[in-house]
Amino acid sequence: MNEIFRELEEVTVEQYDHHDLPKWLADPVLMVARTPESYQGKEYLIEILVAQVREYDVYAEAGCCKWAYDHEDIKRTLRWLEEER
Amino acid sequence: MAVYLDCNATTPVEPSVASVVMRFLEKDFGNAASPIHDYGVFALAAVEHARGQVAEVIKARRDEVIFTSGATESNNLAILGLAEAGIGRGRRHLITTAIEHKAVLEPFEEMIRLGFEVQILPVQADGRFDPQRLADALRPDTLLVSTMQVNNETGVLQPLTEVADILANRDICWHVDAAQGFGKELEQLRHPRIDLISISGHKIYGPKGVGALIARKRDRQFPPLRPLMFGGGQEQGLRPGTLPVPLVAGLGEAAKLALRSNGERIEKCRTFREKALATFAALGAKQNGTEECTLPHVLNVSLPGINSEQAIKALKRVIAVSSTSACTSHTRTPSHVLTAMGLSPEKVEQSIRLSWCHMTPEVDWHEVETILRGLRG
Repeated sequence: MNEIFRELEEVTVEQYDHHDLPKWLADPVLMVARTPESYQGKEYLIEILVAQVREYDVYAEAGCCKWAYDHEDIKRTLRWLEEER
Repeated sequence: MAVYLDCNATTPVEPSVASVVMRFLEKDFGNAASPIHDYGVFALAAVEHARGQVAEVIKARRDEVIFTSGATESNNLAILGLAEAGIGRGRRHLITTAIEHKAVLEPFEEMIRLGFEVQILPVQADGRFDPQRLADALRPDTLLVSTMQVNNETGVLQPLTEVADILANRDICWHVDAAQGFGKELEQLRHPRIDLISISGHKIYGPKGVGALIARKRDRQFPPLRPLMFGGGQEQGLRPGTLPVPLVAGLGEAAKLALRSNGERIEKCRTFREKALATFAALGAKQNGTEECTLPHVLNVSLPGINSEQAIKALKRVIAVSSTSACTSHTRTPSHVLTAMGLSPEKVEQSIRLSWCHMTPEVDWHEVETILRGLRG
């Protein structure tokens, strides 16, 4: 189970250190990644979050089609993680 | 209960796939095309996640995955969807092989009716088509080449790498029916020259009724496909209709597992294969298709002196096998694949196909051998 959380931490650190993921978004994601015991049974949402962080693009909404994820997507998934989903 | 050895017809569903499907049937039932509330947004998030999971298997882009009802629909879209482009460009020559599934051969028959010329390449005794024959068949007006990745009856891997070399720098669409190889043989389908790839959910431990056509973009352009259905504009206008979110999410989960567990699954299938090969060798069976190119989960053999129908009936309490592809086994037409490989009608009538997977339990091979020997009297 912890493997997906480790992956979330790795990809978040990578996106924060080397790409455009802002600190205000990276921090809550890292909080999730480092407290797997709080998110048991929610691995499907964690998988979605990993994909969204990996494909995060500040300009995701800029083109005619949206083929990356932006801060709204990540914020929404973080909210779902805190809800009964 | 007989051990199921017909995984090329359909596979059992992975437990985690079933869980994901149930989640989107029972609880998260929103419409991905209604992202105006959390129900719809979550459904859309699940669909896009699945799209990424499918794309990852073959290193495609997420926006290149078009969800369909299965490989048959994907094949139809890939072939018939190019008709308008071919007519408009004056390119009416199409090439395929004699061992394709009916879901490819029959759309080609429809293309003939629409005025196209179809060239069908023969195959060799080893179950593979000759890439040189393909190279020789190409013409300036060739619109489409369609070649399968893995044959459904023999499990033989086709020479796609050679085809990629032949088609490099040629403005010809190349479609690969990968229903039997997607998620099993990973490298071939990652070749960027392949324009269109058909895949199926229920061949990779996912649900029935879902698949995808992967349409690789070149210079940011899709292959010149036209939709076969209209109304709704989903899937970039190529496949309208409300997406079956539970099935799509299940396909995504199946694709994820196919990638993650590929090596482990292959090893289990190889171990199983050794026992199957030993049993049929002891019976003097002849393998149909070259062993070195056959995927580890399939074995097609002709059993001298034993009619396949009799064999299948006699074995039915021990193993569940078939004599040909699921889509033609009810017609009693001799296998067009084995016939194309040059087998005599007698050998075709003596052929059975066994196909297993990483979830297949042990088989009592001694009993299988005893039953088959008994049929020879």
